[in-house]
Amino acid sequence: MSNDFAQFQDAFFEEAAEHLAVVEEGLLELERHPEDLDLLNKVFRSAHSIKGTAGMFGFNAVAQFTHKMETLLDLLRNGQKAVTPSIADLLLKSTDCLKTLIESVKTGAAVDEETVQRLTMDLASASAADSQPSGTSEKKKDGAPVPGRGITRTYSICWTPPDWLFQRGLDPLQIMKELRCLGNLTKVSLDVSRLPHLADIDPEQCYFSWELQLITEKDRQVIDSVFEFVREDSELSIELIETTSEPPTASISAIPTVESDGPKPIGQILVESGVVSTGVLDQALAQQKRVGEILVEQKAVTPQQLEQALQKQRQQESTAQAKKTDTASIRVDTAKIDKLINLVGELVITQSMLSDLGTRFEMNQLHVLLERVAQLERNTREIQERVMSIRMLPIGTAFSRFPRLVRDLSAKTGKKIQLVLSGEETELDKTVIESIGDPLTHLIRNSADHGLEPPEERLDNNKPELGTIRLNAFHEGGSICITVEDDGRGLNRTKILSKAVKQRLISENEKLTDEQIWSLIFKPGFSTADKITDVSGRGVGMDVVKRNLEALGGTVSIKTAPGKGTTFTLKLPLTLAIIEGMTVRIGRETYIVPLLSILESIQPTREAVKTVVGKGELINVRGTFLSMVRLYDVFNLQPEHTDPAKSILLILETEGERVAVMVDEILGQQQVVIKSMEQNFRKVEGIAGATILGDGTVGFILDVRGLLEIARREIAMAA
Amino acid sequence: MAASTTETATKELNQRIGLTSDGSQFLTFNLGDEFYGVDILRVQEIKGYTAVTKIPNTPAHIKGVLNLRGTIVPIVELRTKFSLPTIEYTAFTVIIVVVVQDKVMGLVVDSVSDVLNIDAKDIQPPPKFGDKVDVTFINGIGKSGDKLVALLDIDRLLLDSAVKDSSKDLPVAPAA
Repeated sequence: MSNDFAQFQDAFFEEAAEHLAVVEEGLLELERHPEDLDLLNKVFRSAHSIKGTAGMFGFNAVAQFTHKMETLLDLLRNGQKAVTPSIADLLLKSTDCLKTLIESVKTGAAVDEETVQRLTMDLASASAADSQPSGTSEKKKDGAPVPGRGITRTYSICWTPPDWLFQRGLDPLQIMKELRCLGNLTKVSLDVSRLPHLADIDPEQCYFSWELQLITEKDRQVIDSVFEFVREDSELSIELIETTSEPPTASISAIPTVESDGPKPIGQILVESGVVSTGVLDQALAQQKRVGEILVEQKAVTPQQLEQALQKQRQQESTAQAKKTDTASIRVDTAKIDKLINLVGELVITQSMLSDLGTRFEMNQLHVLLERVAQLERNTREIQERVMSIRMLPIGTAFSRFPRLVRDLSAKTGKKIQLVLSGEETELDKTVIESIGDPLTHLIRNSADHGLEPPEERLDNNKPELGTIRLNAFHEGGSICITVEDDGRGLNRTKILSKAVKQRLISENEKLTDEQIWSLIFKPGFSTADKITDVSGRGVGMDVVKRNLEALGGTVSIKTAPGKGTTFTLKLPLTLAIIEGMTVRIGRETYIVPLLSILESIQPTREAVKTVVGKGELINVRGTFLSMVRLYDVFNLQPEHTDPAKSILLILETEGERVAVMVDEILGQQQVVIKSMEQNFRKVEGIAGATILGDGTVGFILDVRGLLEIARREIAMAA
Repeated sequence: MAASTTETATKELNQRIGLTSDGSQFLTFNLGDEFYGVDILRVQEIKGYTAVTKIPNTPAHIKGVLNLRGTIVPIVELRTKFSLPTIEYTAFTVIIVVVVQDKVMGLVVDSVSDVLNIDAKDIQPPPKFGDKVDVTFINGIGKSGDKLVALLDIDRLLLDSAVKDSSKDLPVAPAA
């Protein structure tokens, strides 16, 4: 939206997302404790907040829909209705719908109007069944809220500002200017009929009213928002007089309907008065055709024209979406910031003490100097930790969506499942939290579908009918561990093996360790499911888990016992901004290799190196041949040694591929802060980023993947 | 609501203080016997030359990167960029840190001289030097007293060469 409210709107979306989460969480909880009034009140409050703010911003579709939900919630709260599973389900579905509605306001994406209509109706009938809905003014749903580009509309605007306009320092001229920014203000006429005699004039009162005509491509909402601050007490009418679209069929499903406090949809009235049932109405609604189809039937347009127009519409939608870029923001606990400010204060004191000492330094004060430097060190370290902690969020934010997921999975698979969460307060980097959601979703789906047995089978095996999935997060060393544990049947060794042989991932008489067998399930396309359900079985999920984790610099491991269950353990770095690195030297240059990708380092014998035409150099590491990359070759550096027998080979692994990289010397291991190269320069091939080394100079961090690509290209060129 | 007015105000202000390329103050520096100038408003700071870290597989005029108080700043060797012979660095060799479209970059020059006021009327469009000298990166020639200063178009100069990964720029040959 191209007005000044953009920044407030962002705040609205953020807030709405939080409230939605509260609503969803509360509803799930309510299913289990239907009589918990506190919970119901909490849900109600959040829904009410969404309605209030949405209304304030003029997101009428959102406000109206939330209002419907609120009406039902209010009835539940007053005890006029009980929380039945069907009502809870309806409310949950409505929450989903509300989510898409808000999303559509944000991105301009189209909403499934039918679903909205149906749910609105369901909500209304659920509230209406045995008590009157409390004076709801149902508004007609607006057409698909696609602000069609290329469609110009002429609006007639009549505005009588409130008397107090000037008293509050508001300037009608600003509004005119704002309107002019929206389009072509063709007619502006001032009505002075209310102006009293000069003697009676109160100079602080506004006696004017305006009649305006605006030709614009923007829709009503945008115009409405111009009057945001003066709407109170204003007499304002905005009417659409004319719509012209450049290609006449471009907006077939985006016909702007003038919004008014008009009558209810006829269907709803019929249902309410008991003439038809919702089912009949739904059928009738399903028969309703879209404008485009009708036009085709009447031969007003050809199907080709329609298709073209629709395509145009989709394009407009997608460009509109592409324009919206998410500005990443983070909410920080004020206590964290206060602590940080304290620490900075201490740092300033230490610094002034040091400079004070520096101005009149004598050799016998050396111990004082060392003491102060030590203090400075302490300060710096603490500040570093605190600043890092600002990016840290409790993982609970990522966990919160899973209770709903498990509930739905339980319904879909017909298994009884409970989800036990623990360690939600464990903090980790915001970016990691954002990218961990997907892999966890796949793991939980997998556990629910494959891991847990159907209730009968569980009872047969003397297990409780209720299956349990545990999700736990905890710190371990410098990393964070997340475990997904189920008490299901465990991985089936023979089944995995036979499937792998069938899919030619391994040969029949290959000897594999348990770990190697378990890791087969992460291969793309691998699935032991006998049938493909809509939950899982396509063999995509686990592959995604592994790849996402590797992108984050993490690992995944499996523990399983037949009949007892399976545990997936994800190990992730606490933050993406700092990595553990190995510093290596080539000639006079220092490079940093991410420690996670190093398997081992060896000093090869001269005989171990072989040159193969078209494959470059290979190195024999205990019987396996790996391709060898001379780092100085790839980076055009001046090395100390060109003889592999005198250098060090690092065996690196990335995405399951191994490569030996030749360097002069290993200098040591240290934590490095990743700095962006792109910020002031551009991406350099083979380099993941830069860092500041101990002596203040810049060192580069190797991008193992990119390195492999360069090496491969060079071999191809040489061949 | 007042965004449109603020915008015009900023634009006016910018024009008044000369934030556009017709700014009237220039930082001048030497490369060999020639004087060059850059718009003073684009200069963030001037610092003495310190060793840089070479970036592998980049054109010869990209000297390397420098740690400027925690930010990684690429350094361009202007002599190489202008195909002048390289010389030994002296105590006068400095890095002029400039801002080009939100990117911070450094230019290695022989020495800085001073800040000159040059009126718009004293700036002439770049002459055609003939085929030998590349005038692509020259905005104009400014006259101050008896000095002639070639005013650099640093946007073009730096964005063109440093940021875009142009395939024309061949990687540095390994030092034999």
